Amino acid sequence: MNLRAIGCNVASAAVELRERLAFNPDKTQKALTELNARFTAEAVILDTCNRVEIYVSRQDTVAPLHIPLMAEFLAEVHGVPAAEIVPHLYEHADAGAAKHLFRVASGLDSVVVGEGQIAGQVKDAYEAALKTTATGPLLNTLFPAAIRVSKRVRSETGIALGHVSVPSAAVDFVRQVFDTFADKTVLVIGAGEMGRLTLKHLAELEPAAILVTNRSPENAANVAQECGGQVIPWQQLDDALVRADIVLSTTGAPEPIVTRRRFDEKVRRRRAGRTLVIFDIAVPRDFDPAIHDGEVSVFNVDDLAREADRCLGERKRHLPAAEAIVEAEVTKFVGDWNTRANGPVIGQLLSEADKLRESLLVPLLAQMNGKLTDKEKADIEKAFRLFQGRLLHGPIAALNEASRDGHGGLREALRKLFGLKG
Amino acid sequence: MTGSLIQNIHHYCIGLSYLCAFLLETARLLWPAKGWRITGLGFGAAGLFAHTAYLLVQQPSPAVPYGSVLMLAWVLAIFYFYGTVHFANVDRSAKWSDAFRQARPGAAWAVFVLPVVIGLVALSRVLLTAAPDHAAFNFAGWASGDRFWGAIHGLLILFASGGVSVGFLASMMYLIQARRLRRKVAPATVVPLLSLERLETMNRRAINIAFPMLTAGLLVGTLLIPHGPSLSDNWLSVKVLSTTGLWLVFLVLLYLRYGAHVPARRLALFSVVAFSLLLVALVASHPFALGDAK
Repeated sequence: MNLRAIGCNVASAAVELRERLAFNPDKTQKALTELNARFTAEAVILDTCNRVEIYVSRQDTVAPLHIPLMAEFLAEVHGVPAAEIVPHLYEHADAGAAKHLFRVASGLDSVVVGEGQIAGQVKDAYEAALKTTATGPLLNTLFPAAIRVSKRVRSETGIALGHVSVPSAAVDFVRQVFDTFADKTVLVIGAGEMGRLTLKHLAELEPAAILVTNRSPENAANVAQECGGQVIPWQQLDDALVRADIVLSTTGAPEPIVTRRRFDEKVRRRRAGRTLVIFDIAVPRDFDPAIHDGEVSVFNVDDLAREADRCLGERKRHLPAAEAIVEAEVTKFVGDWNTRANGPVIGQLLSEADKLRESLLVPLLAQMNGKLTDKEKADIEKAFRLFQGRLLHGPIAALNEASRDGHGGLREALRKLFGLKG
Repeated sequence: MTGSLIQNIHHYCIGLSYLCAFLLETARLLWPAKGWRITGLGFGAAGLFAHTAYLLVQQPSPAVPYGSVLMLAWVLAIFYFYGTVHFANVDRSAKWSDAFRQARPGAAWAVFVLPVVIGLVALSRVLLTAAPDHAAFNFAGWASGDRFWGAIHGLLILFASGGVSVGFLASMMYLIQARRLRRKVAPATVVPLLSLERLETMNRRAINIAFPMLTAGLLVGTLLIPHGPSLSDNWLSVKVLSTTGLWLVFLVLLYLRYGAHVPARRLALFSVVAFSLLLVALVASHPFALGDAK
């Protein structure tokens, strides 16, 4: 295996440099073609907002590509001095490169552990390279394996469980209360930025209706337009609260807009015991916290932040299990690849041995022509074959065993020892 | 050989199978790992098989307390099995086929249902030990006269009891889930529960189905009382009084839900009360003997 993963990520390079090294589809295609042509290398370029990585593989018999050469290549493609790039690049070799890709695809190397987007990005990167015919036997095995490992890690561990951002954590809470959303009404009060982000996640639940109200009708109309909601006049807030199942409040009001008294007198009784979930993510808060009881749940921004932290902590609890899966998959991948790579070497070794045996046996039998019976000739031939088999059995078994353990060095040693080519 | 094995099934085999299923399910929630869940379900299935075989072979009469309790346990065991498979994923958007492969927990269904099933099996054993001269259900004679109506009464009460038990279990889960939300405790992954809405729907359906059955069962029972051995004993027996009490609780429950629109949490509390009354009614001696019962 002659595989390298060279690149930079959010931990090794600042966003300013990553921006300058970013690829667009056109640049990616040209770069892949160039890597193929210039270095006779299979290549895949993985470019996301958090990382720029090039995966390259060459024949075992040629020198691997290292950071300086790749830095020069990147410098040439992006017009950034190589000296600026080199200190921020990292390099993973062979099994290490496979492990790195498996970890990346599984979201173990992401800023938010277990994030799901990266698996799709890895797949897209591979498909782009495949289209440009920039891939070869190794990368065509490695990338599908990485996508499979990513699925395995996500389905067998809790690495992707829960929501880890404050706006999306609202979904975790609301799912504890409601089962279906096709008959639910979401009421949005105000138009804060955090509120809009939270609304985006709640809207993904596909509620029956989204009502929007705001002191400013223009702001209400803007939010309603963004989310496909219906504007409700500010004066009808109480009526809207009676209709709603989920409330998202994010006004800039200096004091609560819904007091306990107002809620009890004008809303609670008319709701006939229906459950209500309120996400009050305004600071200062819009809803009197005393409203929170068994029927009405009021969650503020701290509650959501706590839930996001908990989910992240929960995901981290599953890291060892996820890493163990990656480790096992890397061992399997490297073992399988090396065993597969042994085929031509073993074939050539056997063929050379056959030739050598024939070159010794044929003259010997010719020399003894007439002195041996057919049975004796057959016995001699059999003895030569047996000797050849026993002589080669040790090296071949050792080669396969070393390959299963992930060591490909013995293959090169065999090539040199027996003078094999290719 | 198989026949004699089935003949030898005891409460212990049934109870221990369910207990193993419960322990494996608990272990799955505490230490998520591959295989716990399917193995637990396997033990649950073994318990259900033994339970069914016992009921078919021993044919305990639903007219005696040990028989009715064991049959109720069987109804709930089916409920356990259904729930474990059906709610294998708490997240409804997840693929069902992934549920048994995931190290992530599905709904903590079995840990709520199985203790009740195990408790009922144990209670049935205690009742059997206390009154070993129990009667078997006489299939041949059930279709005639009072015996027919006695059997109809028994079955209606049994299914109503199943409904009350399901309502009780849904209510227990509801109360825990509501308490979590009230205390703003984050959605738990250790003991994941269904949403409040789903649990409330389950409770409502269970009660809506159980109430007409209980009413019909009571009516049939009332008509049968004059044919009992001692009229005053029957009208004032603990069984009749507690079953009537249970029916009244149901009536109140339905009024609170549909008439007074009382919050679901209070309805859940009432369901727990109804289940307590049901237990009293089941354990109390049964006045409507099928003729072949003692």
